[in-house]
Amino acid sequence: MLQLAWRNVWRNGRRSLINVAAMGFGLAAIMFGQSMMRSLQSQLVEKATGSFTGHVRIERRDIDEPKFPDKFMTKPEEAAKLMAADPRVLVWGRRIHMTGLISSPNMSLGALICAVEPDKENKITDMAGYMKEGHYLEPGPKGLKGIVMGKKIAGRLDVRLGEKVVLMAQAADGSMGAEAFRLVGIHETGSESFDGQMVWVPLQAMQELLGRPGQANELAAKVRNIDDADAVAADLDAKLGPGNIGAMSWKKIDKEIIGIQAFQDGMLTVVLVIVFIIVALGILNTQLMSLFERVREFGVLMAIGARPKWIVKLLIMESALLGLVGTTFGLLVGSALIAHFGRHGLFLPVGDAFKYFLPFPSVIYLRPAWGMHSFACATVFVVTLLATLPPALRAGRLKPSEALRHV
Amino acid sequence: MSSLVETKGVHKVYAAGSKVAALNGVSLTIERGEFSALAGPSGSGKSTLLNLIGTLDQPTKGTVSYEGRVVSGLDADTLSDFRLRTLGFVFQSYNLIPVLTATENVEYPLVLQGVAPAERRKLALESLKLVGLEHYSHRRPDLLSGGQQQRVAVARAIVHRPSLVLADEPTANLDSKTGAHLLDLMEGLNRDHGVTFLFSSHDHAVLERARRVVQLQDGELKADEVRSR
Repeated sequence: MLQLAWRNVWRNGRRSLINVAAMGFGLAAIMFGQSMMRSLQSQLVEKATGSFTGHVRIERRDIDEPKFPDKFMTKPEEAAKLMAADPRVLVWGRRIHMTGLISSPNMSLGALICAVEPDKENKITDMAGYMKEGHYLEPGPKGLKGIVMGKKIAGRLDVRLGEKVVLMAQAADGSMGAEAFRLVGIHETGSESFDGQMVWVPLQAMQELLGRPGQANELAAKVRNIDDADAVAADLDAKLGPGNIGAMSWKKIDKEIIGIQAFQDGMLTVVLVIVFIIVALGILNTQLMSLFERVREFGVLMAIGARPKWIVKLLIMESALLGLVGTTFGLLVGSALIAHFGRHGLFLPVGDAFKYFLPFPSVIYLRPAWGMHSFACATVFVVTLLATLPPALRAGRLKPSEALRHV
Repeated sequence: MSSLVETKGVHKVYAAGSKVAALNGVSLTIERGEFSALAGPSGSGKSTLLNLIGTLDQPTKGTVSYEGRVVSGLDADTLSDFRLRTLGFVFQSYNLIPVLTATENVEYPLVLQGVAPAERRKLALESLKLVGLEHYSHRRPDLLSGGQQQRVAVARAIVHRPSLVLADEPTANLDSKTGAHLLDLMEGLNRDHGVTFLFSSHDHAVLERARRVVQLQDGELKADEVRSR
């Protein structure tokens, strides 16, 4: 049966090739779309967590906005010990995020102040990689009065490397604390939010400015494997107990990214369903044409003793072979496309849209999403088989004498 | 000779649009080893009767029996198995499977029977040799002449040693010389190997060779002539 099925597939070579091409290019398009979405999403998550959020955070539970916690943990040591003890955590650091005023001799501006432990923050985020001038914050007493800021805010303040600025923020006692810092580095990420609003200072200097020694409003960690972030956050949260301090993963902090992912997945599903329907209709059309052309032949096979079920099996096997060839072809074309754009990158203007909020490149480097690709391959194959069922069952119901009379 | 096939009062009414009675109570017995023909003009019911005897169609009324066992009314799978073991078919338009070689076409009933590949190849080649086409075994039907294709069809019809070969207008698409050669071949198979043949034909060459001619007209049996040779 296999031999007959294989030869039947190629008895009308041009039609089969068109079918294989339709299936193959359809599958390749699906794989390309899946890879593009997943790569975009991965890159988005990497940039969001790698430039600011971190993978897991410990913060107070009663804050309004977990991304910018506005309340302090007065004794974060116990939580810090739990974070340090988890082997899945690669590095962690204390942070203070708050809004304040930054002044140069020429201008005063509102700013988002990020006070960090420089040696640890260097490993939690990749901001040091965006330095355009000077250098990132230095740890220890030498770097205590250094400040790093974005190129745009430096331009608005009209300050250059080595010049002083004054940072003002509301201290613990309600008064306005102020401290002078020397500009040691200017970063350029391409993001309006980062380059136009954010300044970075050492944590210890900020604690002194605010009169909050040893305090922080978040502990941020980078885990060894980002896929463990939820589990690490859940474990830490359980260990922290029902008090006012809790742990959460980046998914609860950057909720908009999850929203974007859900939207993209929804769009992708709609496109996939449309492609699957097109593939199914193509196969159905081919099989119906093939059936009408071969009715007399089925009559002959029945006359010489083939059971109706055998005819159905033959047609399904033909489709399975066609599906196998089409799926293999699509897999090869799709993999080649993904490999090409993985190496050379794909220019996507969508990056510009994200740039306002995040340092985000306009070039996406595609990566295979084998789980999704396997599903697409299996679905194309199954759709091929399902599309064959109506004509196959119809062939199985033919009466030999009528089939033999068919012209 | 023992009785092989028996039809008892078979009727066949086609109900596409208005009802058309193709057969009206035909009773006929075919003995083992016969070389017989159903004759009659177009529309006389000979192909319909051949289809009923070949279990390709079901009578509206009456029965068809093989060696005393009623086969009309059996389910499709049982009838398929019955045809596979008992019958061989030769069609007017050869009806070979175009994607298979001559040998593979001949082998097909054995494939359906589940015969081992080596054995069925041997039997197919023997069958092709019987019809004089052993040197064309690797050719596909489109590379064979009409007469050669019909001989392959005969080889396919006899490869599994059926009790009865049914041939529907086997010479209709052949020229007279090729048709005569085909009849020689089938006559030889009947004479030397005991294969029972039942033709439907209005070709005089076929009817002259048949040792029994059953005349049909308007779906009824008009004459049954047995000739001695």
